[in-house]
Amino acid sequence: MRADLRNVTMSRRSRTVYSVSFTFLIVTFSHLRAEDIDYSFFEKNIRPIFARHCYACHSEKSGKREGGLTLDTPEDWMRGGETGPAIVAGDPQKSLLLEAVRYQSAELQMPPSKPLTTAEIQFIETWIRSGARAPSTMESRTVTNPSDPLEGRKHWAYQPISTSIIPSPIDDGRERNAIDRWIAHGRAQRGLKAVRRTDVITLAKRLSFQLIGLPPGDQKLLELANDPTEWAIEQFVDELLASPEFGRRWGRHWLDLARYADSNGLDENFLFREAWRYRNWIIDAINQDIPFDRFLLEQIAGDLLPYQSIDQRDRQRIAAGFLVVGPKVLLGIEPERQQMDIADEQIETVGRAVLGQSLGCARCHDHKFDPFPTKDYYALAGIFTSTQVMEQRYMLGQQRVMERLQGLGETGDNLDDAYEQYWRQHPEKKTKRDKVKSALDILIRQNECEIQQRLISDPDLFADDVKLPGVNTDARLAAQRKWFDELEREVANAPGIPARAMIPMDSSNVKDESVRIAGKFNEHGSVVPRGFLTVLTEQGESMPPNQSGRQELARWLCDTTQPAGWLMARVQVNRVWHHLMGRGIVRTVDDFGRMGEQPSHPELLDHLAHDWIQNGMSLKSLVRSIVLSETFALSTVSDHDNETIDADNTGLWRAHRRRLEPESLRDAMLDAAQQLHLGWTESTVHYLGDQATAVGQNLVRRRTDIPFRSIYLPVIRNDLPELFDTFDFANPQSTTGARPITNVPTQSLFMLNDESVMHAAKGIARSILDESNDHHRQQLIHRLYWRIVQLPPTEEESRLAGLFLEKSLEKMPGSDRESLESALALAAHALLASSRFQYLD
Amino acid sequence: MTLACNQFDVATNRREMLRKSACGMAHIGLISMLAQQSTATAAFSETIDIRKSSHFRPKAKRVIFLFMWGGPSHVDLFDPKPKLKDLEGKPLTSEMVGGKHAPGGPLMPSPFRFSQYGEGGVWISELFPELAKNHSDRLCIVRSMHTNGTAHGEALLNLHTGTSNLVRPSVGAWVSYGLGAESENLPAFITISPPRGHGGIQNYGSAFLPAMHQGLAIGAAEIPIQKAKISNIGNSKIDLETQQEQLNLIQAINRQHLATAGRDAGIEGLISSYEMAFRMQSQIPTIMTLEDETSETLELYGVDKEPTNNFARQCLLARKLSERGVRYIQVSTDYTWDHHQKNNKELPKECARVDRPISGLLTDLARRGLLEDTLVVWGAEFGRTPTAENSDGRNHHPSAFSIWMAGGGARGGFTYGSTDEFGCHPLENPMHMHDFHATLLYALGIDHKRLTYRHSGRDFRLTDVFGEVRSELFS
Repeated sequence: MRADLRNVTMSRRSRTVYSVSFTFLIVTFSHLRAEDIDYSFFEKNIRPIFARHCYACHSEKSGKREGGLTLDTPEDWMRGGETGPAIVAGDPQKSLLLEAVRYQSAELQMPPSKPLTTAEIQFIETWIRSGARAPSTMESRTVTNPSDPLEGRKHWAYQPISTSIIPSPIDDGRERNAIDRWIAHGRAQRGLKAVRRTDVITLAKRLSFQLIGLPPGDQKLLELANDPTEWAIEQFVDELLASPEFGRRWGRHWLDLARYADSNGLDENFLFREAWRYRNWIIDAINQDIPFDRFLLEQIAGDLLPYQSIDQRDRQRIAAGFLVVGPKVLLGIEPERQQMDIADEQIETVGRAVLGQSLGCARCHDHKFDPFPTKDYYALAGIFTSTQVMEQRYMLGQQRVMERLQGLGETGDNLDDAYEQYWRQHPEKKTKRDKVKSALDILIRQNECEIQQRLISDPDLFADDVKLPGVNTDARLAAQRKWFDELEREVANAPGIPARAMIPMDSSNVKDESVRIAGKFNEHGSVVPRGFLTVLTEQGESMPPNQSGRQELARWLCDTTQPAGWLMARVQVNRVWHHLMGRGIVRTVDDFGRMGEQPSHPELLDHLAHDWIQNGMSLKSLVRSIVLSETFALSTVSDHDNETIDADNTGLWRAHRRRLEPESLRDAMLDAAQQLHLGWTESTVHYLGDQATAVGQNLVRRRTDIPFRSIYLPVIRNDLPELFDTFDFANPQSTTGARPITNVPTQSLFMLNDESVMHAAKGIARSILDESNDHHRQQLIHRLYWRIVQLPPTEEESRLAGLFLEKSLEKMPGSDRESLESALALAAHALLASSRFQYLD
Repeated sequence: MTLACNQFDVATNRREMLRKSACGMAHIGLISMLAQQSTATAAFSETIDIRKSSHFRPKAKRVIFLFMWGGPSHVDLFDPKPKLKDLEGKPLTSEMVGGKHAPGGPLMPSPFRFSQYGEGGVWISELFPELAKNHSDRLCIVRSMHTNGTAHGEALLNLHTGTSNLVRPSVGAWVSYGLGAESENLPAFITISPPRGHGGIQNYGSAFLPAMHQGLAIGAAEIPIQKAKISNIGNSKIDLETQQEQLNLIQAINRQHLATAGRDAGIEGLISSYEMAFRMQSQIPTIMTLEDETSETLELYGVDKEPTNNFARQCLLARKLSERGVRYIQVSTDYTWDHHQKNNKELPKECARVDRPISGLLTDLARRGLLEDTLVVWGAEFGRTPTAENSDGRNHHPSAFSIWMAGGGARGGFTYGSTDEFGCHPLENPMHMHDFHATLLYALGIDHKRLTYRHSGRDFRLTDVFGEVRSELFS
């Protein structure tokens, strides 16, 4: 009885709840436009309704076609059954299905047992009105399983790279290369018109920030202003590409993908003392423009490659640190689970960074959207679980399972062994030393009875000479003291940390992995031979029995005779486009799967990929061809007509205005203050303890007052430099292809109040006053603008800044020069905080 | 035109936003985002009328989570186990706990006296006298909690983000995303004295949710709250008047830039972000100070008395934030509850630091009419073993532990779930951390299955594929 009552109450409650969400639905629908409803809407809201209420009687699978109707594919529902088309895309009134589920007429009421809920009907109506779109997987009847690799082949991103004929010029002769022609062609189709080309100074700034992450020098700007020819711009681009600063910006783009960090993060945030070697390798590799396939090969399998010198061996090994720098759960975790988690992290990182695909879903079940069955996942997993990235080492007073380190140089292995051995034996040696000391104390006391007793009970504690018959007291003491001193020295003289790096190795136990049921690490299914993703493989390669297969994996990823290489090339050129233009041709840069967006300019994407492959996968040539296009040089100015058609600027009728990334923000600030050290540095975390974050007694925290470029700042997971944290730096715990761009008050508070900003402002003011004796106010404002934003102030800005300067000056104590410097620093600070500095036109 | 300050450059367009907002329609985070686009007053996020937009009728509008970092012993506080006395010194075997895992070490009884309090007769140990005396009929004690993670790091991440091996948004960030802020000047999620270790910032991070949902940190666990700061709130080098003039200049430059740019969401966003920042900067010092509190109130919490001073100030700050519409407030102790040794000596000291402040907080919230829609939760990352470690300590114990809730519609004077006779494993109504998260969201009117975010090709939620709401915890 009680239970019944309870049920009644429950159902009443659920009805209330229901009506609340219904009201809510109405409210929300009114905001929707047709194009807002994409395939995921079907997956999320429609397919479940069909599956639950319709397919029992209207599906090939159930074998029932009642009324001649099936609802498996768009073709099915458009053809309809005996009474006519079930769904007319875009027209709910003409869609019989909607009539049926609404129970409008007595003859046609579906599902017959019980009507759908109002919300469900609402979903269907919205979906039909917006065009009844369904994923491409549904387009043909034969697709019933999205994870089926053979079906998956049809997805656009896995097709061979096409070489379409480049359209002829149409845009009043402004196109400079093939890129411009494709973009102009796209614009023409949508009735868009390119805005004007930006001025040469703005272009030079844009080029400089995009290529090296720093503003151009005064001298260069002057030159270009006097000679704004194509040839001069080309020269400038080539200078930027050849500059070592190029690697310090573009290396960082790859480090975002490599989830680079100087600490482990997650549960135990131990320091990665040696990660910097990998970071510096990346910068060098980018500067040397190593072909992408080689770049990737060394990072995935550098430790397995042949070498001609120890130096080459070490460089390759350091590159493979890519596999080791991921975050790992270190404590309280079963070893087998840890191994599977690490492999998962590696698969996810490689999949996203190289192929723009999220493979992690297939760990527990066949992928719901993309053609990756679970067995493909475990084929890859076998490669990674046959690789070792962890080892037992001494740290923080005990032996722990940590990231694997290996010595560098000719004697590196020996030094590393000696170091680890010292710490392994350390506790034991300390005990021994203490015991020998206690024996020494006994000898010092000279109680012969006690001495004899202990010589018998603990002979091991006494030096051999002590035990010799007839030896006198002094000699005994000397012998024992000598032994003690030796031990004391051994304990005290810890060897220095040898030069070593984070380096993986093939496991001694190379083996194929078994599928884990529902992803549970200890529930084994059938064993899958190591291999690659079926959907992206035309000819499989057999795996070496004694090696993990990482070399084969790296080669497969870049094999442009197979779908993997086609996909990889598209993903990589799209990343470069994304960085230079502000948006990808495929905007979902890390998702080239079915849930990702389609390319806005597919032919252009293929054109870029094709050229890139032809040019030996050279990053620099690709960058060069993009930045020398007219498209890159467009102004950021808004335009009403274009905006009406294409507010998101997918057609690239103008350039996207860009926000400076935190690295550029800081570097440009220091540069303006003449406080930036160009050049390279080694570790910037060497002063930190093994716990990378301040916990309990450990109060040492990462520093940010390092005068080098921002790429060298410590990347401590969960304790990023505040500037990074505040200004949308990549989260270093996972692959990031597109950083979020937010606009939040904490950023404004940083610019208003952070010590580093004020320090830079001060430096700027000082150096401006130093460089000339002309301290006329308007002149100072002008120079301030030129220094910080490489632009003259508008008249109004000049006036307001001048007023501000005067007013501040009145309040300043001290000598003329001192107060002028302080007042000018306040103005410099304001300009640094403004959109003129933070945004790149 | 003023726009919401939290424009997202990449995801500004609605299509993109809908892609991310998972079930597209039935989604409240979405409502808050849409609302922001069209209103002029939006601050950290639009003020939402929770009654109109939530999935369920909400019990509470906000949460104060009192986090006892380190893991207090449940068998000494809320889950009395007389059997431990009978078998004192004996080992605990797997057979004794139904074939499940039994921690090593001899069984160690609690030396603390337990009594039943109030009409509901909830059991509370003598270590929480104020709480027991003043609020027993407000407490909804859950004795059957269990979680994953035998180490602090893993357990903290599970408690705060629902997972430990992946980086996921924290509970507060989900709440901020789902409900938005009630305040124009403060973010929806503020964490007072958060731990820097054991996952650190991840425990209040936003992961892939927009950055605005990350918790704003006041100080850190090891810093006394009187010395705690929020980064970059206020400037010690530039006086307020000068800064105001400086801000005027910044905004003038921004507007000049905007005038030549035409429409630009980024610059517009920057302009409103400065306005908001300045409002925040002027608001927060008035919140951080206790000057406007009566001596009676200070006394109530135990401010300026030891050992309660620090936690009292933290709790009082939490009340002030909840008054000002902050949705999710976490108050953390320092890492002081990890009693591997001397449990019986140290535990009373820790309880003495927090008992009066907590009791004061509940009293104060109640008399201000805030308790009815503020859910106060007391808990930790795990409990401790019924067996001894190092002769007089207790080890980590994620398999069973106690938490309690009060206010915000929580059923007072009620005990939910039970553990075996050793407090080792849950017996009735086991409540996993995922269930707790689902229940917490339920209290706020959110269906944990529908609060999702599209990231890297799929929808994510706080409870992953788990979580069962325990609506019976609410009246």
